[in-house]
Amino acid sequence: MSLIVENAPLFVAGLWATLRIAVVTLIASTLIGFAIGTMATARTAWLRWIARAYTEVLRAVPLIVNLFFVYFVAPLLGLALSPYLAVVVGLSLWGGANAAEVVRGGLLAVPRHQRETARALGLREWQVLLLVVIPQALRAIVPALAGLLVLLLQSTSLGALVGVSEFFRVGQLVIERTTVMQGLDPAFGIYAFMLAVYFVLCSALTLVSRRLERRLGGRHLAAPAL
Amino acid sequence: MTFDTAYLVAQFPALWRGLLMTLEVSLVAMALSIVIGTAGAAARQLRIPVLSPLVFAYVELIRNTPLLVQMFFIFYGLPAIGIRLSLFWSGVASLAVWAGAFQVENIRGGLSVVGRGLYDAGLALGLRRAKVLLLVALPIGLRMSIPAMLNTSISLLKNSAYLQAIGLRDLTFVAVDRISSDFRILEMFAVLLVTYIVLVFALAAASGVVERRLRRPFAA
Repeated sequence: MSLIVENAPLFVAGLWATLRIAVVTLIASTLIGFAIGTMATARTAWLRWIARAYTEVLRAVPLIVNLFFVYFVAPLLGLALSPYLAVVVGLSLWGGANAAEVVRGGLLAVPRHQRETARALGLREWQVLLLVVIPQALRAIVPALAGLLVLLLQSTSLGALVGVSEFFRVGQLVIERTTVMQGLDPAFGIYAFMLAVYFVLCSALTLVSRRLERRLGGRHLAAPAL
Repeated sequence: MTFDTAYLVAQFPALWRGLLMTLEVSLVAMALSIVIGTAGAAARQLRIPVLSPLVFAYVELIRNTPLLVQMFFIFYGLPAIGIRLSLFWSGVASLAVWAGAFQVENIRGGLSVVGRGLYDAGLALGLRRAKVLLLVALPIGLRMSIPAMLNTSISLLKNSAYLQAIGLRDLTFVAVDRISSDFRILEMFAVLLVTYIVLVFALAAASGVVERRLRRPFAA
């Protein structure tokens, strides 16, 4: 316990990094999700196929492999990504695939006649989407994206494996340092503490997601899964 | 950087052992997760005092914490209180405990499909509640939850890759190990991507077949 108090500034800094990565990747995932999700419901077949391939591949590959892929392959392409950026990009690509499924589900949940009526009224295709379909789809999409944020928040812990000083990495550092300098192993207490912190944050977000779902009254979309 | 096929062939035995480890740890954990899920769902369904709220807490705890941290807690944290599992069994335990939480919810979902009338009929025939669950609700409910259980199993197989972080020599561990020693980045990622995609799609296809089969009426 005293270890946690002594290292409080470190933990707070780590938690701040974790939250920042989670929020940034959620924004990027949402953008990717809307682009790919809209493509997935397009009338052009090859657009649908690209969207399908993107989501299926990213969801089939373990997130950790996806992260290592970005981390190791980006330099080969001449992109020198910092570990922080590699994590943000890796998580966003994966989150984007999950958000795309959410957006696609949300768009399909809007009754067909809404599109047809809007077209009959003379709206252009982009107007139909932007002014009629998406606003209604948001009722189902927003709660599911809050659910995705929970997964992203949890997945930031993978950053520790490529050396990003987020919350989990800070915990590991404190454990290593205490073991080396004081010869005792605080792994049980520190990891339990970290689980507790993640639990409080994530269950609060889960509650928000459930409440949003009830409040907005949209169709229930299958939650994204790890 | 060129793609070196000869290197890939030379690494085949090590990768194969990694793949077997991935499959072994996943299959044992899948079986255990279904046992946990069934027991947990039964405790919830029968509203067994103490046990039912505990299962609820377990499910929420697992679903709202990162799998990676759970793994480190089990492998590095539990020995401090005298629970010392080997690397392999730590892997199995963390995956089974993680997926078990989702299986509880999957099976509860399946059970909720079983009509009230069937429970009442069982009770009217003089069966105790536990017997009704075991003989009437579970045979139907488990069947209804198979697609969801398969989906969780797919996630489990995929996420067994996280175990490379605690040093289990699974497929991902072997590939990442080769990358750090030999820098054959493209070859190793090609293997990882293709293998996981094939495994996941195969399981997903199986799940699709089961789902279609389940849509047929009962008793056939």
